[in-house]
Amino acid sequence: MGEQIVFGFAAAAALVSAVMVITLKGPFRATVALIGTLLSLAVLFVLLLAPFVAAIQVIVYAGAIVVLFLFVIAYLGERPVAEVGDRLGRYAVFAWLAVIGLAVQGVVVLATTDLPGFRDDPVQAGDIGSPEAIGRSFIDRYIVPFEATSLALLVAAIGAVLLAKRAVRSEGGR
Amino acid sequence: MIGEAVNGVPLILYIGLSGALFLLGLLGVMIRRNPLLLLLAVELLLNSANLSLVAFSRYWNVTDGQIFALVVMVVAATEVVIGLGLVVAVFRQRLALDVDQMSTLKG
Repeated sequence: MGEQIVFGFAAAAALVSAVMVITLKGPFRATVALIGTLLSLAVLFVLLLAPFVAAIQVIVYAGAIVVLFLFVIAYLGERPVAEVGDRLGRYAVFAWLAVIGLAVQGVVVLATTDLPGFRDDPVQAGDIGSPEAIGRSFIDRYIVPFEATSLALLVAAIGAVLLAKRAVRSEGGR
Repeated sequence: MIGEAVNGVPLILYIGLSGALFLLGLLGVMIRRNPLLLLLAVELLLNSANLSLVAFSRYWNVTDGQIFALVVMVVAATEVVIGLGLVVAVFRQRLALDVDQMSTLKG
């Protein structure tokens, strides 16, 4: 019962702050609302017996990535968004149509699927979320994806440096 | 422990919440025009995918979904680095921060 109460609060907080992320005008406020979604999802990860993923969610996502966003927003300053009424505004109705269509499909699929154990209590889980289990899984079975992520990070770092260098040269090598 | 409660939360609720978050993120990507806020909506999409991965990992009692969620977080970090680098580069060209006006590559 307690698990259901925690799930209800965390899910409601995640949905409300997600709505705020896509509706608030100022970039700063939307970013702070994103922190709310990320922390609610971290609570859900703890409920799902994934404490390590929850910790990484708080440290890397709510810590590093959101702080990077806030740095860039502070650097660019709060700029007014361009006036409405140009090209993209006309297509907003199609965006709504696509999202509503997808929502209907999702509800139909969730209501009719017969995945085993989909509506029952969860089975007893073993040790699936501890740092030890995750480390063993990474080293034993997923060593190639693990190395691939390090390559992706390296390429992203090089790309960011190149972007910054070209931008500096274009404004007179300041 | 919480996970061993008698009356747990069934998987369908987690998948429904993940779908709702995905729809919100998708709507944000399509109606926002500030590229910074567009990246925030993409983060919502990636997080909803992470929630389903971890939920399936719990209900099928395997670690693989959590591994995949961690990899998705790394990909999200690289995406943010490149995306914010592009936003700063556009800003330095003295252009408005509006995806509607970045149409130079349009055929």
